[in-house]
Amino acid sequence: MIVRSSEINGPVRESADVCIVGSGCGGGASAKVLAEAGKKVIVVEEGGYYTSKDFDATEQTAYQHLYQQRAGQATDDLAVTVLQGRCVGGSSTVNWTTSLRTPDFVLEAWRRDYGVRGLSSKELEPYFERVERYLSIHNEPVENHNPNNRLILDGAKKLGFRASAVGRNTKDCVKAGACGLGCPYDAKQSVDITYIPDAVKKGATVFANFRANKIEVTSKTKRVSGIVFDHQTQKPKTNFIIEAPVVIVAASAINSPVLLLKSNLANSSGELGKNLTFHLTSAVLGVFDEIMYGAGGIPQSAMSDEFLNKNHDGGGFWLEAVPVYPTLAALALPGFGSIHRELLHQYPHIGATIILVKETDSNGRVTVNDHGRASISYTLRDKDLGYLKQGVAVGARVQFAAGAKRVITLHARLTEFNSPDEIDHKLAASNWGMNEIGLYSAHPLGTCRMGSDPRKSIVDDHCQTHDVKGLFVIDGSVTPTSLGVNPQVTILAIAEKSAEWIAGNFTDIKAR
Amino acid sequence: MNAFHDRVTTRRKFLKETLFGVAFLSVSRLMPSEALLAGELSQVPKNLLFFSPREYLIFESVAERIIGLPRPGQPGVKDVGVASRADEFLAGADPEVQDQLHQLFTVFNAPFFTFLFDLRFVSFVNMSGPDKDSYILDWMTSKFGFRRTAFQALKRVSLSMFYTDSRSWKEIGYEGMFMPEDRR
Ligand SMILES: Cc1cc2nc3c(=O)[nH]c(=O)nc-3n(C[C@H](O)[C@H](O)[C@H](O)COP(=O)(O)OP(=O)(O)OC[C@H]3O[C@@H](n4cnc5c(N)ncnc54)[C@H](O)[C@@H]3O)c2cc1C
Ligand code: SF4
Repeated sequence: MIVRSSEINGPVRESADVCIVGSGCGGGASAKVLAEAGKKVIVVEEGGYYTSKDFDATEQTAYQHLYQQRAGQATDDLAVTVLQGRCVGGSSTVNWTTSLRTPDFVLEAWRRDYGVRGLSSKELEPYFERVERYLSIHNEPVENHNPNNRLILDGAKKLGFRASAVGRNTKDCVKAGACGLGCPYDAKQSVDITYIPDAVKKGATVFANFRANKIEVTSKTKRVSGIVFDHQTQKPKTNFIIEAPVVIVAASAINSPVLLLKSNLANSSGELGKNLTFHLTSAVLGVFDEIMYGAGGIPQSAMSDEFLNKNHDGGGFWLEAVPVYPTLAALALPGFGSIHRELLHQYPHIGATIILVKETDSNGRVTVNDHGRASISYTLRDKDLGYLKQGVAVGARVQFAAGAKRVITLHARLTEFNSPDEIDHKLAASNWGMNEIGLYSAHPLGTCRMGSDPRKSIVDDHCQTHDVKGLFVIDGSVTPTSLGVNPQVTILAIAEKSAEWIAGNFTDIKAR
Repeated sequence: MNAFHDRVTTRRKFLKETLFGVAFLSVSRLMPSEALLAGELSQVPKNLLFFSPREYLIFESVAERIIGLPRPGQPGVKDVGVASRADEFLAGADPEVQDQLHQLFTVFNAPFFTFLFDLRFVSFVNMSGPDKDSYILDWMTSKFGFRRTAFQALKRVSLSMFYTDSRSWKEIGYEGMFMPEDRR
């Protein structure tokens, strides 16, 4: 059953075997596995419940109803925009469908540097396979790439860089391009139309517009309490308490540490909320003679991974395409006023390539602000800044190789190249400080990191907190390092594995 | 180490990091910009949810310059109701963000601060168009991180209120998304 707050008339008091906070990749996959194992599962989700009938493929509706802070979430200094979903299905409801396994070198670093066991490529293989089958993950044939993705394949090939199609979790996709606004065709196999309905079929209850504010641990049980919001006005309506011996925090890498910090739990290491990685993202915008219309067609279907871990230092960057929705484009374009407005007149001719940096030395932190919400900070350090600069240069070269007539970066001051020869010296003269270059993240991770040492990590190999037995974190916050690839498959696979372990050891976990 | 990124400026701190600190916020409220806005204040919609009438006018004036003036036949800030949309949008924002924006409008507009930052003793709303642009440019490119943050805040709200509205799409050649047949 999925319960909307409009159906709630008074305080809610419930009990369950497992209470899950958050219904995105981590929460949704955990709910399905545990419900199928016969557990009574209750999921509380702070966002609303919407279906494809509600998705009108406009930024206005999507940002208001489906995104955290109406897509305005950012670091405190506004230097990095942090995009996340806030609805049943979490970020998967608004994500761009790229579906990739965790690279081997990343899993190996988790084992080597953080003592993580049970998550080698071989051990994760059955879970990756299961996720790929369940979500119909497949590569798109060449003819399905839109011009914005094709430019990566063509440009990279001309320069001799590796590039290929990426897996997508879709079924009968009609190439509408609205993945980031909620798929109106139910083609995207996001968590809201896959894991959640299957969990519900097995008896799970999902409460939408329920925000968890606190977890309390008693000798007998755990108590998750919070506020029920009115679906329309977003004003508090009533409150809820769910009691369960097992609680899974799956509120994302931004909001899971907030909930745990407010509850004063799982932080004996002092690491809670730290180690935030962003998969820091900037972009280059090529202006082409032909119509690119980057808002239409499959938004993300190709990538170039030539420069990921090329130096075997665990860092580097990766190129992908991005849907060029009008507001996203307007916010990304440099400057303001008439210059900015003129640039937007090129809108149909713009091809956008994003550069995603796998961090090595940079990281951030989530703390709790005076209003009990997330306060996000991030420090970009030299090595990753070097990769960002290199990535912007490579992205611009790829755009030219694919036929761009000029290429614009996201620097606040208009920085444009009319030929590849201008790239290096113009970039060398540019400012790269905070709010001098547009930076984004749709992949925040790592704030409750996994590891074998309780002094340096929050959860163990099964995503159980070192400090509190029966309290788990299963979402993007458990990754010990930046992934270097889009994270949904990693999170889903870890969630399936951890939830399976909880189901198999439930009596033991419950007894402790 | 990258100097700018290494110093983490939280939004809460950003105004407090001005040259002379928050004490001047109260001084700036004594400045005469209110009187200069008097005529226009009567045109501000009633029942605002977030802005004070004065803030509404300041924001509208900022948004006009950030979005850029329309060519004939193109929609402007007033046509799209950018300030009213922003009022509704910001009423639902994080309380922390709301507090800071109220402070920002005071600082951004007050002659005291325009003088402090740019040696112009005139409130933002009363500057000429080109002066407004160069004042905004100074915020965008300032060596002080908090001013660049403030510019970002103003840019984000202005542009997102304009370009999420379908009336702005024709000009840029955006045709909307492809919807299922029964919902077109
Ligand atoms: C625009 C965009 C595009 C993306 N594209 C891709 C892509 O192509 N491929 C890919 O692999 N990844 C992509 N991602 C990232 C991917 O979707 C996320 O990494 C993944 O969904 C994270 O899973 P999660 O479980 O950690 O959190 P989420 O999926 O974000 O779910 C967390 C949920 O918890 C809820 N919540 C938060 N706090 C509370 C609380 N206190 N009480 C109750 N509920 C709460 C939230 O509302 C949210 O629904 C994209 C993300 C975005 C935003
Ligand atoms: S591109 Fe495919 S998956 Fe994305 S919104 Fe369109 S139909 Fe849905």
